[in-house]
Amino acid sequence: MTRVVEVPAHFDDRSFDSFAEGFGEWPPEPKLLFDARATQWASPYGLIGLLTAGQALAEAGREKPLLTVPTSDEVKRYWARAGFFQQAAELFELHGKVPRATTTGPSDVLLDVTPVRASEDVHSVVDKISEGASRILHGELGLEMKATLRFSMALSEACQNIVEHAGTSGWVAVQAYTFRRRLGRRVVVIAVSDSGVGFRRSLESTHAKRFGERWGDGAALEAALIQGVSRFRDPGRGQGLAFIKRFLDQWEGKISIRSGTARLSIVPSWDEDAPLTERLAYFPGSQVQIIIPAQQAERP
Amino acid sequence: MIQTIRIGHLLREAVAAPYRNLVTRPTGAAVRSRIEETLAGSRCLTALLDFSEIELVDLSCADEVVAKLLLAGPGACFFVLQGLREDQHEAIDHVLTHHRLAVAAVPPDKGEPRLLGWVPSDAREAFACICDRGPLGVADLARAMGWLETRSRDALRSLAAHRLVRPIGEVYHPLPTA
Repeated sequence: MTRVVEVPAHFDDRSFDSFAEGFGEWPPEPKLLFDARATQWASPYGLIGLLTAGQALAEAGREKPLLTVPTSDEVKRYWARAGFFQQAAELFELHGKVPRATTTGPSDVLLDVTPVRASEDVHSVVDKISEGASRILHGELGLEMKATLRFSMALSEACQNIVEHAGTSGWVAVQAYTFRRRLGRRVVVIAVSDSGVGFRRSLESTHAKRFGERWGDGAALEAALIQGVSRFRDPGRGQGLAFIKRFLDQWEGKISIRSGTARLSIVPSWDEDAPLTERLAYFPGSQVQIIIPAQQAERP
Repeated sequence: MIQTIRIGHLLREAVAAPYRNLVTRPTGAAVRSRIEETLAGSRCLTALLDFSEIELVDLSCADEVVAKLLLAGPGACFFVLQGLREDQHEAIDHVLTHHRLAVAAVPPDKGEPRLLGWVPSDAREAFACICDRGPLGVADLARAMGWLETRSRDALRSLAAHRLVRPIGEVYHPLPTA
């Protein structure tokens, strides 16, 4: 028996929850077919979320899932350009014609879909991003020059969370695009996802007792993002997310983290997301999204 | 005696690649242990950690390299950072403030040292005064700042406890940077 999981037509952090509902019990018993034929657009979060699903199924010992690629040539070309198919080929049995990735000049894809398996990968990701980040953040989004360093730091810390806490590998992608529906401005988006133990299990042995009956995915996210706790006893730990949160406040940026059955967001004024959403459909590991919008010119 | 330690050189050794970004905890820990090895074989009084070949210092490395060297306790050596650009201060400042530590940073143009991290505000003013005027005693600082001597003494003791000045007898000396 094969179960079909629909890939949403507009696949981003918002539609991700309906995507996660498609799995039923985790890990799903039947073979899965991810149907992306009708998908018209996918954010970096969507793309690496899909890869995470494939990875989690492999780690759970399930049969290699099928993935029917988008029908739209434009969408397929974009997914290829973002490096999605190259990574997906190892995790899915791909059905449909896959175009070759082509690069022509500067692109909105600041960082292809890139695996993060070890600290060396974080070095390589930070190295790759620096030139393009300056062009987009300063040139297009109007952020101060030092934003490039902050951005690279945020990227580094978010990727290190995989290496340090997930217990498995993960993915990162960075892209600039226009956030038409929610904001009407250009944004840069960092998406980081892994299929690892998630925040609750990572923090359980050191912090669950303090929360008592409240302990769960949501409380674990609060502990990490709001209180800056870490599973390590080293007092220098847990500063990465706090730092990211601080500079996102200055730039009206947004961070949201989904782990297990909960999602916690620091919500800027332009967004209507709920700060904490619990009892979502379970999805393995952790998914982080950081959005940095173009700065609005100050009114005289 | 001053020993200059080129962090860029240690980074390349640690990662065996020509990276200019000081990122990740394992890399930071490897760089720190190389600094400690270098200092173990040295009789220097001040170690100048030279960041001029470094592009980015992330929080993990700021913690692993700078904070942990300072947290290791009052060894024989004073630390001064050198060659950090203004935009590179943020991670180090953030991490040291978290630990209530501080370090002096000499800018690439060899201008006045700047304090990164946390010290009481009086100590910060006293540090600027010593950098400007040179070695000062409690009474000298009190006169210069218009403070009572008790206030001046507390500020200087705080700077000495953070290893930001070197007390010799009753006089507090700025750390040598050249």
